[in-house]
Amino acid sequence: MENLDYARLQMAFTLGFHIIFACIGMVMPFFMVVSHKKWLNTRKPVFLKLTKAWQKGVAIFFVTGAVSGTALSFELGMLWPEFMKHAGPVIGMPFSLEGAAFFVEAIALGFYLYGWNKLPEKFHWLTGIIVGISGVASGILVVSANAWMNSPAGFDVVNGEFVNIDPVAAFLNDAWFTQALHMTLAAFAATGFAVAGIHAFQILRNKKPELHKEAFKIAIFFGAVAALLQPLSGDLSAKDVAERQPVKLAAMEAHYETGKAAPLYVGGIVDEENREVNYKLAIPKALSFLAFGDFDAEVKGLNDFPDDELPPVAVVHYAFQTMVGIGTLMMIAGLVYFISLRKRSWLDNRKYWWLFALMSPLGFIAVEAGWVVTEVGRQPWIVYNIMKTSEAVTPMPGLKYSFYLYVTVYLALALTVAWLMNRQIKVLNRSIG
Amino acid sequence: MAYEQADQSVKSLNWIIMLYVVLFFTFFSLFLYVFLGGADFGAGIVELFSSRDNRKLNRDTIYKVMGPVWEANHIWLIILIVILWIAFPAYFNIIIIYLHIPLTLVLLGITMRGVAFIFRHYDALVGESQIWYNRMFRISSLITPVFLGMSFGALLSGEIVLTEDYSEVSFADIFLHPWLNVFSFLTGLFYAALCGFLASTLLIGETEGEVRRLYSKKSAIYTIVLVILGGVVLFYGFLTEMVFVKDFLANFYSLSAVSLSAILLIPLWKAIKEEHSLLTRFYAAVQILLVLFAAVHTHFPNLIITQTGEVSMLEGIAPDSVIEVLGISLIVGGGIILPGLFHLMKSFNMIRIPTPTPKNEQN
Repeated sequence: MENLDYARLQMAFTLGFHIIFACIGMVMPFFMVVSHKKWLNTRKPVFLKLTKAWQKGVAIFFVTGAVSGTALSFELGMLWPEFMKHAGPVIGMPFSLEGAAFFVEAIALGFYLYGWNKLPEKFHWLTGIIVGISGVASGILVVSANAWMNSPAGFDVVNGEFVNIDPVAAFLNDAWFTQALHMTLAAFAATGFAVAGIHAFQILRNKKPELHKEAFKIAIFFGAVAALLQPLSGDLSAKDVAERQPVKLAAMEAHYETGKAAPLYVGGIVDEENREVNYKLAIPKALSFLAFGDFDAEVKGLNDFPDDELPPVAVVHYAFQTMVGIGTLMMIAGLVYFISLRKRSWLDNRKYWWLFALMSPLGFIAVEAGWVVTEVGRQPWIVYNIMKTSEAVTPMPGLKYSFYLYVTVYLALALTVAWLMNRQIKVLNRSIG
Repeated sequence: MAYEQADQSVKSLNWIIMLYVVLFFTFFSLFLYVFLGGADFGAGIVELFSSRDNRKLNRDTIYKVMGPVWEANHIWLIILIVILWIAFPAYFNIIIIYLHIPLTLVLLGITMRGVAFIFRHYDALVGESQIWYNRMFRISSLITPVFLGMSFGALLSGEIVLTEDYSEVSFADIFLHPWLNVFSFLTGLFYAALCGFLASTLLIGETEGEVRRLYSKKSAIYTIVLVILGGVVLFYGFLTEMVFVKDFLANFYSLSAVSLSAILLIPLWKAIKEEHSLLTRFYAAVQILLVLFAAVHTHFPNLIITQTGEVSMLEGIAPDSVIEVLGISLIVGGGIILPGLFHLMKSFNMIRIPTPTPKNEQN
């Protein structure tokens, strides 16, 4: 493998971790403040305990997210110096605002974590709300910067230099809204299901079920609502991609031949050599409809694009299928939850809790898959149709070693965080009350 | 064409104001990171060089004092990096390419430290694993500022080789020698000592009686180490005829700033002796400000010195529209963040009105 490949792998790897930490860090505060509010309203000790347990989770994920985010702010430049040199000023606005939002979050979290019995109750609770809001704001702002890479706006290229820069137009590029909406919902769905699943598993083990049921209720509510809304946002995103990045859409669907009334492939093995998809289930006209809202619309196929502008088709297609498949499962599970609000008898069925326990990791797998779709699907471009990834990479040789270093550190980090979370749950189950 | 060029060379007043706003926030973030982040690193360094009995005490005091602002201290680094890449892309490009290795080591240190800090204070079960968290915290607290200082030293060391053709110069000459040299290493040690000095000075105000005397003593020791190291850095640079040090010693303002910081050591020591917490902190901050000013002023805006010449941070500055939007963002962001941060510090007694200190509970 070349330097470029290692640079891409390292970026993918670190972002893959950061996206998990960041999603949990931005959604968990909402669970925490809901539980906190319930404690303030009911004064049931179970809510105080839950709030404090979740607060520790928030703190741990906030710091790991912040640290991996600091690393990323350097890595962007260290791995892609030419990208940052030209694009840095253009996408500076969302990044500087993100810095501010993140700072507000850190300050609010300082107040929240250390404010118990020191600050007035309402103000203390409010600082928790600010943690959540500023976390979501930073997420949206960062995604807006990524959206610019898919939908570059707000500048002209003259002799290889980016001129006539309009930072506001770059910030409000065509892709920012659909991407930010999709990512925010994904964060809520994934975190909601992950947390709910962990608590469902504790209910199955019959460890402090009354506490874990309250926890489950809060987390799954956010997760289920987001999972039900996500298909709508996915549809918006697909139509948007079809228009702006037809080659990415074609790769997502492994659609090689341009044609009207294009079929949608479900599953299938992509044969990149012979440019065909085997063992697939084809739904007639569905792709044309999903992409353009018209069963007979023409969808451009991969064969109509120059060879050196094609992304790795198989990876993008499999990732896309994974994301959509899991998204559908989560939507169904969301429905199951809302039905169970009426049919209380389901709650006594162990299968109900097993369903959610098993769903626990799926949301994050979908998040990773979606990230692969958007990033790998944009290749070979780092800035779509403007700058290639190979033009952006650092001239420093030996990125192999840097890659292995990061893999080692992040794996150790992930294992330790998982181990810590396990200990949190143990302590929660052990305590009296 | 001629008209357009004239239009570009005459900058509007608005732009000039915004450039100063951006420059102010750049150095303000640098100062706050060196000061607050430094005090944070220093806490680990002080702990590393403490006797076994004092370590636990140190750990608890640090947590009580730093906990609430711990994260905020380190965000100044992100703000600094983001300003650099937005406003001074060409300058940032050189830093990030040529200092890839030491900055990776800084990141490694920051990661280890952050994780160790949260683990040792948030692990639900307190057991043997604490020993590992503590070790990791202390060691990374020392290593990180050393590499940070080395990176800063590398920029001014005059060892950087800028090249277009990377096959022409050896890997070591481009990516190792600029930061892996005596001057950069001494700068790294100097910054680490500065961190130790900041932390011990800050902790004076947080403790009482016997412990307070302990930190007063530590603060005095770190001050001595700091002054000696500062002297060694300058002396070494003078002996090896470094461009930066020569210019430093010839710069009236830089020399005055350093002299003033030397003179201010007297009231600082007096404040330490009298265990006056607010004054010691104030003098400590002024010390950092003066030292940073001296270092930056000598060569501003040429803050990269290579083997063949100097690079100005204003070279290849971002277009006017970017500077203007960034300036406004920084004013708005700063207007929200700074009062919040001040309030946070005040709420948790990091900034204290000098009244008799209430008894702090030791946990």
